[in-house]
Amino acid sequence: MATLGDKRAVVTGAASEPGRGLERALRDGGASVLGLADAAYENRAGAEAAFAAAQQELGGPLDVVVHTAMPAVAYEPVDFATVDDARWHAVWEVAMRSALFVLQAAHGQMSGRGGSVVMVTPTVAMSGAARLVPYTTAVEGQRLLAKAAARQWGPDGIRVNCLAPAPEHVPIGVDSMSVSLAAPALGGPGDVEADLGPVVVWLASDAAHFVTGATVCADGGVWMAP
Amino acid sequence: MTGRLTGRTVVVTGAGQGVGEGIARACASEGANVVIAARRAETGEPVAAAIRADGAEAVCIVTDVTSRAAMTRCVEETVGRYGGLEVMVHNAYRGGSPHRLEDADVELWEHNSRTAVWGSYYSAVLAYPHLAAAGARGRLILVTSPAGVEGSANIPLYSPVKAAQRAMAKSLSREWGPLGITVNCIAPVAASPALIGAFEQNPVLKERVEARTSLRRIGDPERDIGSVAVFLASDDGAYVTGQTIVCDGGSFMGL
Repeated sequence: MATLGDKRAVVTGAASEPGRGLERALRDGGASVLGLADAAYENRAGAEAAFAAAQQELGGPLDVVVHTAMPAVAYEPVDFATVDDARWHAVWEVAMRSALFVLQAAHGQMSGRGGSVVMVTPTVAMSGAARLVPYTTAVEGQRLLAKAAARQWGPDGIRVNCLAPAPEHVPIGVDSMSVSLAAPALGGPGDVEADLGPVVVWLASDAAHFVTGATVCADGGVWMAP
Repeated sequence: MTGRLTGRTVVVTGAGQGVGEGIARACASEGANVVIAARRAETGEPVAAAIRADGAEAVCIVTDVTSRAAMTRCVEETVGRYGGLEVMVHNAYRGGSPHRLEDADVELWEHNSRTAVWGSYYSAVLAYPHLAAAGARGRLILVTSPAGVEGSANIPLYSPVKAAQRAMAKSLSREWGPLGITVNCIAPVAASPALIGAFEQNPVLKERVEARTSLRRIGDPERDIGSVAVFLASDDGAYVTGQTIVCDGGSFMGL
């Protein structure tokens, strides 16, 4: 399945799931892939430097950027009434600035050539969840940042989409049954590499050339809105 | 005269003009004590005075929604004056000038993030003890936009901050529902100074918005948007929570 044979890709947040499994899937799909673990994306220069280094290592500008990185504190369930400014900054501001600067750095790599950006945005942010206000707020912010980017950058051939996995794939202690009363139609949340991997490979590939601004739910058939 | 909000206190941020003013006026005419939380006294005081001149109750508290200290003071003064706070409406927003996403700098991001999202966070977290005390009459209403669902091609940074508010409303509605508090969003298109200004700058946009609007008119901030806020704030809206009510005359229909 070498659909990505000519693509250079990076995955942010590749030190943990779901980034790690998606990195393997892109490699299995034939791409030259670099997993980025700990780059500083909270300022534009840091994101651009990380992508420039990746460009150097992969031998050319990036075609595919998959953004899964999220500050670890974002995953901590917390009573909203106890959230202070420091926590709100550490989750909302850091997650959003990172997403913005990763997108801008991706634009720098892809401008004039085209490319595909995929943001990983678990379904739980669309359904909402108690004690996860900071996290879900940031994830939906990222999802709409992707849509806005898709609208502006379509003419440049840069596609921006979201992949929405089941909540089990991030360490927030939420299962699919809290997203919908119905059990997963396909039996469970799936495996990142085996089940989400083909979706990210497709979004990255030219086969998805007419798909942008979309949110693809690959959650085993739980969240079905709209 | 008894209105649907008699005996309740409503704080509306960004109430010195536009949609916020419309919501404040609609709530006041239903009997609420209304706090006009405006960044500038020059806009906020006349709105409060006009409401009082109509025989309703209002006061202006000059408030910068991006400041925890200012928002704390606003809530404390409100509760000190009226004895409680049942309905918090966060409407203030600043930063909506057209831009290219690849050129957006931290300053532009902060304008959007601070007013829309930090302002929502402060509204929610600082009002919380009073909303909890109000129980089944407690309401948090966030003013968002269809652009927070569709994605804006002209003002890209507007979309994530408006989407963030919707997500906050969903999660907070689940967290606070056991207390009886409802949390919702209103996504209006109304003849605010911001929209009128955008139309003046871009007449083509005005034509396109009007053509896409089923009812073929741009909403009135008080009659068309304020009335929806009154519904959500009143007992009539007690079983509606976690929702975004799009009030745009039938333009965006994607929910």
